[in-house]
Amino acid sequence: MIDSVILTQVFNGVILGLIYGLMAIGLTMIWSITDLPDFSQGGIYIITAYVAYWAITLFNVPYLLTIPIGALTGILLSVVFERIVYNRLRPSGVLSCLLAAIALFFLLENVANALWTPKAKIMSVPETEVSINLFGIVTSYHRIIILIVSVLLFIIIHLFIKYTKIGMAMRAVAEDREIAELMGVDTRRVYIATWALGGALTSVAAILVSPLYAVWPGMGTLPLLKALVVVILGGFGSIIGALIGGLILGLIETIGAIYVSAAYQHGFAFILLLLTLSLRPKGLFGRR
Amino acid sequence: MSEKRRLGKKNIAIIIIAVVVIAIGSVLAWYFIMVPAAPGVTPRVIKIGYTAPFTGPAAEFGTNGWRGISIALEEINARGVFIKGEKYTVEVIRYDDRCEPTEGVAAVRKLILEDKVIAILGSHCSSVCLAIAPLCDQYKIPGLTIECAADAVTSPGFEYYFRMRPSMGLIAPLITPVIIDKLKPSKIGFLAINDDYGRSFVESFKKNFERYKVPTVVEQYFERGATDFYAYLSAIKAAKPDIVFYVGVTPEGALILKQARELGLIPEIKFIGSEEMGEYELVSLAGKEVVAGTYAISLWAPTPEIRELASKVKQKFNAPMHYAIVFGYDALHVLVKAIEAAQSLDPVAIHDALKKLEHKGLQGNIKFETFEYEGKLFMNQGRYAPYLIRWTETGEKELIGP
Amino acid sequence: MVSRNKSNINSFRMRLFYPRAIRFLPIVVIMVILITLPLYASSYIVFVAAIALLYAIVAAGYDVLLGYTGQLSFCQGAFYGIGAYTSAILTVNYGWSFWQAMPVAVLFVGLISAIIGYPALRLRGAYFAVTTFFLAHFVYLIFLNEVSLTGGPLGFRGIRPPEPIGPLSFEGIANGYLLILFSFIIIFILLRMLVNSNIGLILKSIAQDDVLAESIGINVAAYKLLSFVISAIVAGYAGTLFAHFFGILHPTTFSWFLSEMVVIMTLVGGAGTLIGPILGAGIVTFILEFLRFAPEIRYIAWAIALIAILMFEPKGLMGLLKRMGVR
Repeated sequence: MIDSVILTQVFNGVILGLIYGLMAIGLTMIWSITDLPDFSQGGIYIITAYVAYWAITLFNVPYLLTIPIGALTGILLSVVFERIVYNRLRPSGVLSCLLAAIALFFLLENVANALWTPKAKIMSVPETEVSINLFGIVTSYHRIIILIVSVLLFIIIHLFIKYTKIGMAMRAVAEDREIAELMGVDTRRVYIATWALGGALTSVAAILVSPLYAVWPGMGTLPLLKALVVVILGGFGSIIGALIGGLILGLIETIGAIYVSAAYQHGFAFILLLLTLSLRPKGLFGRR
Repeated sequence: MSEKRRLGKKNIAIIIIAVVVIAIGSVLAWYFIMVPAAPGVTPRVIKIGYTAPFTGPAAEFGTNGWRGISIALEEINARGVFIKGEKYTVEVIRYDDRCEPTEGVAAVRKLILEDKVIAILGSHCSSVCLAIAPLCDQYKIPGLTIECAADAVTSPGFEYYFRMRPSMGLIAPLITPVIIDKLKPSKIGFLAINDDYGRSFVESFKKNFERYKVPTVVEQYFERGATDFYAYLSAIKAAKPDIVFYVGVTPEGALILKQARELGLIPEIKFIGSEEMGEYELVSLAGKEVVAGTYAISLWAPTPEIRELASKVKQKFNAPMHYAIVFGYDALHVLVKAIEAAQSLDPVAIHDALKKLEHKGLQGNIKFETFEYEGKLFMNQGRYAPYLIRWTETGEKELIGP
Repeated sequence: MVSRNKSNINSFRMRLFYPRAIRFLPIVVIMVILITLPLYASSYIVFVAAIALLYAIVAAGYDVLLGYTGQLSFCQGAFYGIGAYTSAILTVNYGWSFWQAMPVAVLFVGLISAIIGYPALRLRGAYFAVTTFFLAHFVYLIFLNEVSLTGGPLGFRGIRPPEPIGPLSFEGIANGYLLILFSFIIIFILLRMLVNSNIGLILKSIAQDDVLAESIGINVAAYKLLSFVISAIVAGYAGTLFAHFFGILHPTTFSWFLSEMVVIMTLVGGAGTLIGPILGAGIVTFILEFLRFAPEIRYIAWAIALIAILMFEPKGLMGLLKRMGVR
């Protein structure tokens, strides 16, 4: 019988991978459609987690309800940033936008620091308390929720991109913006939709993860970087790639942490990045 | 395609106005934050400096230390400090060092050379303490650390740098026999934060347990702010120790206990927490059920005075009690007592007074001694004994020993 | 992807010749102030100035990479740290003299940057930036975890100031500061020569459009690597100075926060002007020191200012001055 510890870790790896995948989808869409690797999503990650935390502790909102609330916050922030900051800077070039994104990330992190103090807060959610044993895997209801919610989201997004008008417009812009514009696609609406989607995904990822770990102002950096690695690994612009890439990274991290080194567990992403860039820069499913 | 227009006169005017407004704004801000007294400042003020992490991952220590110091400050200024018959008030100037040695050094230099403080409180991180202690010696300004734990801070020590709480090297030998006696472990493990504090903790306990022939079978380090301990805990589970020391701050501790329970390590393996885990905050973060039955090392016992301080803290800051608050509180009282004993504002005289001082603080009996312990020389170091406690089902502390 | 529209090089050069004498006056004044600083300022100010100058050195080197070659990178902190730790280990653990250890440390940094840069620079734009981000973090993890080598979180202590050369001693804050100042001047002159030379032109053309540059026969990869290594070496050298000036090394000093700060300084001052980042280093250090009394809002105020700067004048201070008709 396979050791329960390993089985649990594999399962945890899958869960973690799904979360990376969620964030990566948002990032890959923003990046492929608007040409910007959006670092400010890291900041949005932080703020929406805190908003959910507030909802739970101050207003006793049930956990599952905080997910749509957080998503709304994420959408709001993303779109606001796009309209006010990125839109203005676009003529100055991608570099300026990237630096602005970083500055926004920096800003949001410090706002969180000031508003909620740097001390980590634990999001106490009843679904995490109960430990259940499923086929030898030690887990909790919460992780099952993560599983279900992420898979649902993936399916929804896939359908959205494939079958709705806006989804098709987004794909067109991702392929070739100029031609899409010539064909009459309203890039402005596409951009807003993209950012909204990205913000929503990031926030959902943040809220799903928060009860597992803790909510603290520095929580955004590593997930952001890893999500970027997943974007590159999965292939620029590919949603399936983001999902699979996320799973790969999640599994490598959790299993590598046991067998190789727990101290360097965050270094695996880096090694994966180097491997991808040297062996297959297009990523697994990339087109460009 | 950027706009390469030259700025018209109107734009230049706007920019100049903006700059002027910002400049005036900062000066005003500086004025109102830095200079609380009216112009024509009252002359009888004792200035003390405080450097601590207020931002960054260690920020809660500075924030809590500051809470303790502010409460002590209120009490002291309510009665006033009397030197040679004149009444003085105390002002504490605080700077953020982010738990970063370069920042700490800059902050202390500023405090000594620009703000002209006569004593320094701080800091909290051993790395910063080690960097600023030589400055205290150099400028002959006494420094009182709030809570640095590494031995090296007072061993061999600095003439002008003092520490109230026993260092890691002193706690371990005192508490190890208690643990062995009460819990009888045959193998131990460590899950510690990867910084100066965590590493010195592991080093000294490892050595002391070895003396009793209890080996360390697993040693794991995590980075400050880590939230995922499953990997470390799995490794620990595989090594099967009887006791695991977990070292960090309360949020990490809470997560460790939660995740350890999820993985089924508790209660088979006894978890003993570092001093932070002896704080009520652990209970409020993790929940009574998660914490019940686990142990911790605590630097103070729940006395009535501490309960009183705790309620003041709750009232004023709406925050839970924390040992950094206790230390900050004691530290300022100790300094002021030394100043009063010296009856002088001369830092050298204050330093002399500190050396002779005895004070019943909230943490224990404070006295700065110079001694040798197990081949190491310690200077200006306090030596009260720590406690081993266990958390009960009701979220209270139960004293196990000594 | 990156479009840089600087005023074209020729008119910029012509302006250099115009009121030449007056142009040098501010520089002379500032130099005099800096050189005589230890005479009248407290050692607190001298200390802060020294750290600011170190940042300025790193920022100037970084500008070669960012401003002139158009590559955004986040690993200056890593090279700064490698230089610092290498020199520290060689002098403290192996008894070398600073004057032997420092060149070796700098060469080592150059070597590492070349090894990393060679594959990494094949990436474009944001991919490269992200990779350097990770690199910086990875190097930081090494500093933190390889305790036997670097002392890890317990810190690396006991680093001595550089050994005296003849009558020149480098002990003490004032002398250490002067060494740093002197290094800064030399490095600035060297970089200025580099940037105004043909190589500088080539780098600028790469920043404008590297595909085009490649098509007219420029070995883009080689030049990108060159600028990467140069910026790394400059940062590494600054690191050795830091180690022997401050005396203690701690991994937290070299976290990605440092790299971020360098980027911000370069940006605030105006990338691509060499002087810009230096001014940026000075301004940022000054403002952060000034706001030291308000720790909680320090960084927020700073972040808001940064975004405002980006929105209104992406070219930083130098861009602003240029638009106002100065220089």
